[in-house]
Amino acid sequence: MRIMIDSVVEFLQGNFWALTALKLVAILTLIPVSGLAIGFAELKLSAKMQNRVGPYFAGGRWGWAQLLADGIKFIQKEDIIPADADRPVFRWAPALVMVSAVGLFVVIPFWDGGAVADLSIGIFYVLAISSISTIGILMAGWSSANKYSLMGGLRAAGQLIAYELPMVLAVIGVVIMAGTMSLSGIVKAQADFSLFGWSGFGDQPIANFISPFFILQFVGFLIFFISALAELSRIPFDMPIAESELVTGYLTEYSGFRFLFFFLAEFSNMFTMSAIAATLFLGGYLGPFVDVAPWLGPLYLVTKIGVLCFLMIWFRWTFPRFREDQLQSVAWKVLVPLGLANIVVTAIFKVVM
Amino acid sequence: MTLEQDALKHFSEVSVALELQTPDMTLNIGPQHPSTHGVLRIVAQVDGERVTDVKPVIGYMHRGYEKIAEVRTYPQITALVNRIDWVSGFANEIPFMAATEKLMDIEVPERARYIRMILTEMARISSHLMFMASYPLELGATTPLMFALRERERVLDLIESVTGGRFHPNFNRIGGVKPNAGAGPSQKKAVQDLPKGFLQAARDAMDELLSTCDQFDELVTGNEIFLARCKGVGIMSAALAADFGVSGPNLRASGVAFDLRTHTDYLPYDQVNFDVVTGTVGDSFDRWQVRLEEIRQAAYIVQQAVDQIPSGPLQAKVPKIIKVPKGEVYVRAENPKGEMGYYIVSEGGQGPYRLKIRSASYSNISVIPQLLEGVLVPDIIAIMGSFDFVLGDVDR
Amino acid sequence: MTNSPSDLPATDEASVQMDTYAAAVADAVGALSWSTNFATVKVVVAPDEWVNSLRTAKTDLGLVFFSFLSAIHWANDVEVGDPPAETVDERIEVLAAVGDLTDGRLVHFSTALPVDGAALATLTTVYAGANWHEREAAEMFNIDFVGHPQLEKLYLPSEFEGHPLRKSFPLLSREVKPWPGMVDVEGMPDSTEPAEEGDSSDAETLPSGVSTENPGR
Repeated sequence: MRIMIDSVVEFLQGNFWALTALKLVAILTLIPVSGLAIGFAELKLSAKMQNRVGPYFAGGRWGWAQLLADGIKFIQKEDIIPADADRPVFRWAPALVMVSAVGLFVVIPFWDGGAVADLSIGIFYVLAISSISTIGILMAGWSSANKYSLMGGLRAAGQLIAYELPMVLAVIGVVIMAGTMSLSGIVKAQADFSLFGWSGFGDQPIANFISPFFILQFVGFLIFFISALAELSRIPFDMPIAESELVTGYLTEYSGFRFLFFFLAEFSNMFTMSAIAATLFLGGYLGPFVDVAPWLGPLYLVTKIGVLCFLMIWFRWTFPRFREDQLQSVAWKVLVPLGLANIVVTAIFKVVM
Repeated sequence: MTLEQDALKHFSEVSVALELQTPDMTLNIGPQHPSTHGVLRIVAQVDGERVTDVKPVIGYMHRGYEKIAEVRTYPQITALVNRIDWVSGFANEIPFMAATEKLMDIEVPERARYIRMILTEMARISSHLMFMASYPLELGATTPLMFALRERERVLDLIESVTGGRFHPNFNRIGGVKPNAGAGPSQKKAVQDLPKGFLQAARDAMDELLSTCDQFDELVTGNEIFLARCKGVGIMSAALAADFGVSGPNLRASGVAFDLRTHTDYLPYDQVNFDVVTGTVGDSFDRWQVRLEEIRQAAYIVQQAVDQIPSGPLQAKVPKIIKVPKGEVYVRAENPKGEMGYYIVSEGGQGPYRLKIRSASYSNISVIPQLLEGVLVPDIIAIMGSFDFVLGDVDR
Repeated sequence: MTNSPSDLPATDEASVQMDTYAAAVADAVGALSWSTNFATVKVVVAPDEWVNSLRTAKTDLGLVFFSFLSAIHWANDVEVGDPPAETVDERIEVLAAVGDLTDGRLVHFSTALPVDGAALATLTTVYAGANWHEREAAEMFNIDFVGHPQLEKLYLPSEFEGHPLRKSFPLLSREVKPWPGMVDVEGMPDSTEPAEEGDSSDAETLPSGVSTENPGR
């Protein structure tokens, strides 16, 4: 048995394509699992916040199989395409949204060296790929031949343009501090960081207890988190969906399996965005004793992601939504100046240190 | 700047404006839409997100009650009228009963009048709680819905325990209220009254309700996003409101301290103390605030009424077959949605010769087009929702 | 100007006050007559004076609150319901209720129009809120409100023919199926035999308060 594992590991290490294929399979499994997990967490948490029980019967206990049952239901439903729809665009839009979710998983380091591809321009890649989902949403809105969908799609586009900028500005602060754009490099930079000359307890680096970038880039973290909420179209920034105004915006005409794609992509994107925020600001896979027991790394990362996702769910079930013009003024009048100021202060700080 | 430069600048601005000009889009909101409270249809011309013209279309729910009433007897009409504003079914019956009793010159026993008052205020609470549930939902906040509906359930349970119905109690009789069905066999000697423990249950429910109102203050009223969406949105001046016959909480939000409960005697409101709540500027936030405060006032009224309720019969003596003497009467009441009144023209028969139903939501939403011009699409919902209308009350 | 006495003799202080008020209003707007029937103040004006008298009421008397506008079709020959107890002048009576927002006063302005070709100047110039009420009255009673900005049908589909609240308009469901409709009620569990179908069980299934002497109801 032991020999077999060793030989498999040896084969994989020697064979780039086989290893990549294995990693991709792992990612493709992780996406639905993360989507279902967050979806289920949202069901249960929202129920707790609203004095409800939530799903209870599916699966026998706690309703754990509720989303599986929902998924089966969606697959069985008729795939309706409106008569006036631009059919190819309408069909490809959900796939494009899903592509962005998949693409983001590729660069997240789950442990030291545990990313599918550790790109040297990792964060650049993340910002580029995360915008693709908005193109998918715009396609969905435009091709549906529905005025509500169109307005939802256009709102999504406006939202992307407005919030991409503060997000980039927030990330620049981190990049200045870390001196690298690689995500694993940023995590390592946090591990090696010393706060005013203090680098940690004994041989435990400082990042194992507190995350330096969360503290040093707190403004950046806030800007990043708010922008991530807006990019994910979560309340209070869910104007592209806005079911009380635009019915359900760009989702209005979607049904069945294609709707499921959007649904899953929403939760998967939540997972990846939280993962990136955790990597950039919360020290990624770092945590106590992670240097002696590397298998703790993914657990720490998932815990940090869980905390961020919980925040997103909490916001969603507490706040009303902004109006479209208020969303724009928050982005341009508050977040962008704040992000620029953050960069200046960070740069000075970096030089002085 | 010379004249030529001025003209050149003007022309260039005009040409840019022409270049950028896009045709307005017709956005058909409703009759099937999540936020139109039923089947209201709003045909809006929108320039992007900006609304340029609004035309409400009603009538999808017109049931012709005024015509049907001409072929119904007075007791039968009771069952019709509590379907007008179904969120506060009980309150709909009161002005009709009061009008009929006025024509027949019937003195309603005091205990029946108190029961009517208690249940009317409970209907008001139920109606306003429905608003507390739906308005944040229209602004995107889902959780207040659950809080409000939970409280509404308490109130509906109380109404049900007395009347046997949650939405359409059909509990009033000409000359009093229906003796409680649960109070024993319907023999003449049995005590026919409120169910056992109702008064104490009402007291407890009102205490719970008052604490929930504080929760609402914390969850919704103080929320920055909620304030950003409501403050200064849909400002209605008192003069505009009066011109369009806007009544009830919507009128009071515009700063007019006018409450029919203090001016008419259809129920013993002179026996209880309560404040007439008013707003200041008449925006959506004031309409929210007034309703929230009115829930508290209604709870105080119920508490006082429960303490003061006299004993006595529930029914005045009325003939078995009700014939109403010739005459015309208009009785209006302060319903949760506003002024509700019935103009009854009787020719001495068993049914009215003509029944005009003046419903509150009808006048209330007729003013909405005036407020919607030039707002953004999300504000259509924020303004419309703040008027708290029910389509059954609009179309009748 | 002629004053008509109220139907009920003014006995208590409140009714005296109401009579005084009604007389004052009638005097101010130049009314034909007035009445305080069951505490409902009604002032009858001439159709030509309709808009002017209501404008006076709004500007001089402080009756700023527009409550409703509707009409009554007085006819001796009716398709639905009971005819009036005594013979009446056939006419369309238009009612507008306006009130103040301080003392809770409400005054019903009334004017009589001919049944054929009923026309009246629009009130929208005085009370903007009369818009929908006049559209409703127009489609229900066939009244032409001259000068109304948009006198389209409000409730009914635009191709609808007829004016439903006129007394000459039959209630179709009643024509097809007389009240109380088909009686096909199963007997209660404790009754030995199910209720019979047909007219014979009408009397038992009628709601309380309904007499059998008038099968029209």
